[in-house]
Amino acid sequence: MPEQIMTQPITQIISPDLKFVKDIIASGGESLKKCYQCSTCTVVCNVTPDDKPFPRKEMMYAQWGMKDKLISNPDIWLCHQCSDCTAYCPRGAKPGEVLGAIRKMAIANYSVPGALAKMVGNSKYLLMLFAVPIVIFFAIIASLGNLSLSSIPRGEDGGIVYSKFIPVPAIDTVFIAAATFAAISFVLGIKKYWADMSAGISVQGNLMGSIKATITEILAHKRFEKCNVTKDRKTAHLLVFYAFAGLAITTTWAIVYLYGFHYDSPYPLYDPLKLLGNASALALLYGITLVTGNRLKNAEKAGKGSYFDWLFIAVIYAIVVTGILSELLRLANIAILAYPTYFAHLVFVFFLFAYAPFSKMAHMVYRATAMVFARHTKRD
Amino acid sequence: MDKNIGLYICTGCSIGESIDVEKVSNIAKNALRIPVVKSHFALCGNEGIELIKNDIKNEGVNTVVLAACSQRVKYEEFDFPGCIVERAPLRELAVWTQDGKENAQLAAEDYVKMHVIKAQKGDLPEPYLMETVKTILVIGGGIAGMTAALQSANAGYEVVLVEKEPQLGGFVNKLHKKVPTAVGEYSEPLIVDTDIDKTIKEVESHPKIKVYKSSKVEKTDGQPGAYDVTISSNGNSEVVKIGTIVLAAGWRPYDATKLEHLGYGVSKDVVTNIELEEIAKKNNGKILRPSDGKEAKKVAFIQCAGQRDPNHLPYCSAMCCVTSLKQAKYVTQNSDATAMIFYKDIRTPGRLEYYYKAAQNDPCVMMTKGEVTGVADAGNGNLYVEMENSLLGQKVKIEADLVVLATGVVPATVDDPILNLQYRQGPGLPDLELYDGFADSNFICFQYETRRTGVYAAGCVRQPMNMSEAQEDATGAALKAIQAAEHVAKGIAVHPRAWDMTYPDAYMQRCTSCKRCTEECPFGAIDEDEKGTPFYKPGRCRRCATCMGACPERIVSFKDYHVDMIGSMMKNVSVPSEDDKPRIIVLACENDAYPAIDTAALKKMNIDAAVRIIQLRCLGSTNLVWVADALSRGIDGMLLLGCKFGENYQCHFAKGSELADYRLGKVQETLGRLQLESERVQMIQLAIDEYDNISKIIHDFVERVKEIGPNPFKGF
Repeated sequence: MPEQIMTQPITQIISPDLKFVKDIIASGGESLKKCYQCSTCTVVCNVTPDDKPFPRKEMMYAQWGMKDKLISNPDIWLCHQCSDCTAYCPRGAKPGEVLGAIRKMAIANYSVPGALAKMVGNSKYLLMLFAVPIVIFFAIIASLGNLSLSSIPRGEDGGIVYSKFIPVPAIDTVFIAAATFAAISFVLGIKKYWADMSAGISVQGNLMGSIKATITEILAHKRFEKCNVTKDRKTAHLLVFYAFAGLAITTTWAIVYLYGFHYDSPYPLYDPLKLLGNASALALLYGITLVTGNRLKNAEKAGKGSYFDWLFIAVIYAIVVTGILSELLRLANIAILAYPTYFAHLVFVFFLFAYAPFSKMAHMVYRATAMVFARHTKRD
Repeated sequence: MDKNIGLYICTGCSIGESIDVEKVSNIAKNALRIPVVKSHFALCGNEGIELIKNDIKNEGVNTVVLAACSQRVKYEEFDFPGCIVERAPLRELAVWTQDGKENAQLAAEDYVKMHVIKAQKGDLPEPYLMETVKTILVIGGGIAGMTAALQSANAGYEVVLVEKEPQLGGFVNKLHKKVPTAVGEYSEPLIVDTDIDKTIKEVESHPKIKVYKSSKVEKTDGQPGAYDVTISSNGNSEVVKIGTIVLAAGWRPYDATKLEHLGYGVSKDVVTNIELEEIAKKNNGKILRPSDGKEAKKVAFIQCAGQRDPNHLPYCSAMCCVTSLKQAKYVTQNSDATAMIFYKDIRTPGRLEYYYKAAQNDPCVMMTKGEVTGVADAGNGNLYVEMENSLLGQKVKIEADLVVLATGVVPATVDDPILNLQYRQGPGLPDLELYDGFADSNFICFQYETRRTGVYAAGCVRQPMNMSEAQEDATGAALKAIQAAEHVAKGIAVHPRAWDMTYPDAYMQRCTSCKRCTEECPFGAIDEDEKGTPFYKPGRCRRCATCMGACPERIVSFKDYHVDMIGSMMKNVSVPSEDDKPRIIVLACENDAYPAIDTAALKKMNIDAAVRIIQLRCLGSTNLVWVADALSRGIDGMLLLGCKFGENYQCHFAKGSELADYRLGKVQETLGRLQLESERVQMIQLAIDEYDNISKIIHDFVERVKEIGPNPFKGF
């Protein structure tokens, strides 16, 4: 008989963190303590790896407040909240919602500065967060003397020209600042996250290959196909995802027009840039409506979602609605409504960009990172 | 009594089409010389009943033999007070289970003959009447005992309650709070006052309850309905007349000093669940550590401490899971404190699952499955609970400032007979080692029964259970005690023959004092006098007739059941002269095997034409002379169908089928000496739900007997 090498498991010291448990409960995981570890969730989950599957063990760690085992755990991001687990849980422990709450806390944990994350996650601070862009844009308008809407100069054809209301360079300055802030915060967060994930694990091999494979997977939205209860989510998320991509291209294009060709907005409706922008806006509106519809339809089985989730959805809604309205009101030449709508649009866009590392928007970055890590370490 | 037999053959339920009723009638009239023989297409209908009643009134019929269906159906219709009623089950045993007209006819003729003979040999029962009292003695003044006392007293019975402690209340007195009673879901508050004082007051002020505190039952003499119970209190003894007894003597916690590996006795901060109650009660709900009096904030509960463990208590104590969930709520009254529960399995049966759900739904209550391997010093005044195979990891330790051991229930009867019965078979309830010392039984349908008639066990002395279960148990046991007192007063048996007015009557002149009956009676109903002669205490008897089967002198008989009666039935079974047609007698227990045969019949399953079935009260009543009688008459084989025996016995009389098996072992030696193959007589254990096996069991046995060949005594 071949000699077997017995490996003695190392004794871990468990220190329950009651505060962390209470935080999860406050972040939308109020059903957490109902779990009685039957493991139905891991059995019905289609996206978990077979080895050490989730979410049963995460539920246990969460009940005991084992923060270290959760925050830096890539598994919480491999979960795409299909909610199959939540639908089948015999105790109503809603593992999908609990993992959602843990993800929110992971975002808060890694994003810099952390205090801002706490504000984004708490409805108490909502007005304060909105006050920042409102004050900034208001100051710009005031400094230009554009507070009286009728005195704002018009275009050659007498139409509304938003860049005469707030000049594009001013907007770009604000948004470049906000985007830089967000990017730095993301980089710092991801660096810390990667370090935590790889602590004690020797990571080697072709990282670029893993990144490439992950991006391919994300572009195709393959994971969503494995969900049962929330099957419809793939189309909705795909639309939102590509609409954002379209809008990103539109923005870049506009920058090229403006600074490259000194070609000022507004652009005619037949301009390819305009066509892409409008198509993306409509796709986003339709996509986010589907997202909302699916959430409401599945609320009974999949859980009703947290403040964190709904804030994100609401902001996207606000952006797309104010964006489309700005264009329509401009074309209709209704100045009294057009300018305030455009103002609101800028405020919402700022909210999305500047607070991206702290809001649910961050899932894009953390999930992608966790997926790369999981692939790289052969976890997934 | 002079018998005037009327035989009534029913032609309904296809009996009339399957057998030649006229031929049966002629046999009855001519060969059996029965004066009144009639047939009707529906005897159980009004017209049929009237026909019989008319004959009873006008023709002087006083013994009614019904050749119709099983006695297990239509017994309300076929009830003729003052008459012996005998049922030949033609429908089940001749029509539904036999193939072909010829077999059905032969079976019908045999069964009619057998049951006419049974009627001829029987007599009308007369109850055994004695002077009785109906006072109920409740032993134990805990929640079970007090409930039994109140229930009995409120039902109008005098109650004597004996409690060994100076005050009533039992373990509930020690509790800080209790689990509330809820219908369906539980909600806060999950811990409520025990209110035991109210119950104690109600018991002590009840005019029908006499309470003896600091008292013990010194002696229980006599029999149900007429017990003389000696109660000793503070050195004084008093004899009280008692009808029946509820044994609610309770429990004690398992000796935690045996749990040194879990830190008990090593650290002051390792306590038992009962000790935690005392801590909470003493400090008005605050959980203070015994070592330094500081408030405990990290409390570890170790479930199954010394339980479900072959080195300690092998069983589950049923109430500790809920107790720990409740005590966790004591801890988490302080919202900074955590209560950590380490379990093998959480067992919260029935509605308590809702309590588990509610108690668990608290951020401060943390639970994990795993094996606790030890409790060690953490070096900082706290303790480490060490676990393996836990849901938190392979090998983990968790720091706690107080460790609570969920120790189990040890029944009072484990080392104390409590009842101190003056029975020849001993002072306590027999064979309690089958139940780890609990006063339990395998009587699945009659859970409060003990092996001593008139003694009903309730609460934790019977099985580990929680308070509300104990109250339910006590109510059930009180009802059984009342029923037994009433039955004994009327001279009727208690369960399972709760209609039976017969009692064992022994022809003592021929008794050799061999004492087999006194040894074998499952209920200790037979004592013996100074000369060693056995005598019955009929109140203790359950009428299983095990004594009748045991007696080598065959002197025990009942009015409607005796050795000669069953022997005569066998002797009158037809024995085919052809060598390839064996005749086999099946003796079937009335509790499981016979009902199973009835079910098989209802499902029209075939029963081999070779067999004739006789119903017995219990296989324990099988007297070996029957085997000799039958085989010497040319019967080729005998099959005994009885209940499962041994550790998980299902015998309704506990020992009957086991004794039958034991006796059969003896007779098989004898058969061997007579050059008869011992395989001709066999016993098979059969449960009531195994009806679908019966055809095969019987068929296989017939085939075996065929292989052995015909009985050489055939034709003699």
